[in-house]
Amino acid sequence: MTETVADALQSLHNSVVGEQRSRVGRTRVVVQVGHCSMSVGATELADAVAKTLPQDVYLVTAGCDGACFAGPKLTVNHADGRSDEYWNISAETAKKGYMVQRPTDLKQQDESGSAEFMNRQHRLTLAGCGVLDALGIGDYILSGGYSGLARALSLSPEEVIEDVLASGLRGRGGAYFPAALKWRGARTVMNTPRYLVVNCEEGEPGLFKDHHLMEGVPHRIIEGAIIAAYASDVHESYIYINAEANLSADRMQVAIDNAYEAGLLGANIMSSGFSLEMQIVRGAGGYVCGDETTLLNTMEGQRREPRQRPPFPTEAGLWGRPTVINNAETLSSVPFILSSGSDAFASIGTDDDKGTKIVSLSGAVRNGGLVEVPMGTTLREIIFDMGGGLKDDRELTAIAVGGPSSGIFPVSMLDTPIKPGFIHESGVMLGAGGVIAIDDSVSVVEMMRKLAAYNADESCGKCTPCREGTPRMVELVDGIISGEASTSDLNDLGQLAELVNAASLCGLGQAAGNPILSVLHFFGDELAMMTDTD
Amino acid sequence: MNRERNELRATLRKEFPRNRGQLLPALHFLHHEYGYLPDWAMEVVGWHLGIPSSEVYGAATSYTELRVRKPAEHILRVCTGLSCWLNGGKQLMEELRAALSDGTSSDRVTFEETPCAYICGVAPVAEIDGTWHGRVKAGTLNAMAREVSS
Repeated sequence: MTETVADALQSLHNSVVGEQRSRVGRTRVVVQVGHCSMSVGATELADAVAKTLPQDVYLVTAGCDGACFAGPKLTVNHADGRSDEYWNISAETAKKGYMVQRPTDLKQQDESGSAEFMNRQHRLTLAGCGVLDALGIGDYILSGGYSGLARALSLSPEEVIEDVLASGLRGRGGAYFPAALKWRGARTVMNTPRYLVVNCEEGEPGLFKDHHLMEGVPHRIIEGAIIAAYASDVHESYIYINAEANLSADRMQVAIDNAYEAGLLGANIMSSGFSLEMQIVRGAGGYVCGDETTLLNTMEGQRREPRQRPPFPTEAGLWGRPTVINNAETLSSVPFILSSGSDAFASIGTDDDKGTKIVSLSGAVRNGGLVEVPMGTTLREIIFDMGGGLKDDRELTAIAVGGPSSGIFPVSMLDTPIKPGFIHESGVMLGAGGVIAIDDSVSVVEMMRKLAAYNADESCGKCTPCREGTPRMVELVDGIISGEASTSDLNDLGQLAELVNAASLCGLGQAAGNPILSVLHFFGDELAMMTDTD
Repeated sequence: MNRERNELRATLRKEFPRNRGQLLPALHFLHHEYGYLPDWAMEVVGWHLGIPSSEVYGAATSYTELRVRKPAEHILRVCTGLSCWLNGGKQLMEELRAALSDGTSSDRVTFEETPCAYICGVAPVAEIDGTWHGRVKAGTLNAMAREVSS
């Protein structure tokens, strides 16, 4: 680390220690307020706690730690080092007096499997989420934040790229392209200004990871973005956030403001001579925005539809300039790689697939929420060990993995490990990491119809096979459900799904047939029973 | 109407630089201001940014989260995503439809389904006038729905 950058980090550290001096020796109460917990009373809880706060106690607002099943969640860190956790705590309870509810008995929870939810995870991008103050920069810095940036700034951009390539980090948005290759791609195109866009649109049903990152550890995204910008020789960056994610946008704005104040954004970052501007732009919904070129079109005031590639965004992206587009989770992995070394990251996961992945676990599972696990973890571990199995002893019948662009597994595939790209050739992909446990209360065909109908609704209409094919697939599935379909309809459905996949321009169309193809592959017998044999 | 147009034009001039990249931010502004995108206001945005109205309309209607029709006084949305469906969302919808008499949108309530609210860990979920409610029970939701629709 060069001396000036090291000095800048040290003085940042010192100023935070100074600011937080008044907290020493006092009890810390942390309320987790995120967009999930807000829907079950977290805001009211935080208000009630603030009103009844004893003098020797200070209150911290954190994002949610991803244990959605336990929210709203409150933690008391006593001055003597003990800490108590309260799960599913209501504002009414808090109002009655300070913490009348008994703390959650974690030992007892252990028997039901809920404590395993956190213990079995490998938290790297989500580290500190639900613990760190989400409204200030201090906690993040004291936990070692921005030390990855400091190290990056003391290396050359090419050294940073080499480091991140060596770690094996691939894009976590679903396409799993080596992140640092985008950086190198953009920096070698001699056309300025270059841009960085952080994709936090998260328009995929069943996903809620980027919201959590933005609301709980916004500075980790910012730190990763600054490192990416440095490596790509970019000086203007945008955080692209969904229009409905207001809390996420508010938290990111606060974090950006704090970073500017601390000299981590703007001119001459940490006295390194590198400069970067950052601002938020808001999307307006849509799975198809997961396609990079579509996202760029929306920023340029065009229709929400993809562009022909090549040229790729790293050559000609926003306003025709070289543009790096990275997912929030990808960038959240970068500070760890720089601060702990690429070997540390590469040692997590399998020989081929490095690092961790945040899985958005939901459905009929007992412990729904975010689980961050090493690549190579099996679906069984995710659903049964961390997820605690199914609610109310219901029975698992299928698993939807990877959202509407992916497919549905039968129970026999539970021991499949997660990895980038296709995890089964019938069309099941990890995607951005949604895992939904399905039980017998809803049929697999109905689930397939939902995914197919979603793709049909979201199709932008640019490519004919997708525009015409996705609604036609829904019609054919409806025929199966109503018992009017014949065996030849099943064949047509399979062919159509393959055709739509083969002849569409963007990721939505190229994967729109996957739910159908995977169900045809794994649940073909069930479908055959639902159709006329003649 | 002319006065409204002029006022909007003045506001746009003050708030939005005249380049095409401002289209989505300007549409968000309208949406926030009026609760939907009135035709006349989209036309004014087009004048300001130098974009034909047809293209403004084309872009606006390509977004799932922007409304081009005026909603009723109250907006009720129920998530029908996979996780919600598996956690009682299906029954929620059926009972809500029954509770709202004919089950369709009325003058007072716009009733919609949404494919995902991205808060799947607290499913099933429903939104009333911009506030999401997680782990919602049919009885509670019906009561809230009746309250806003009566």
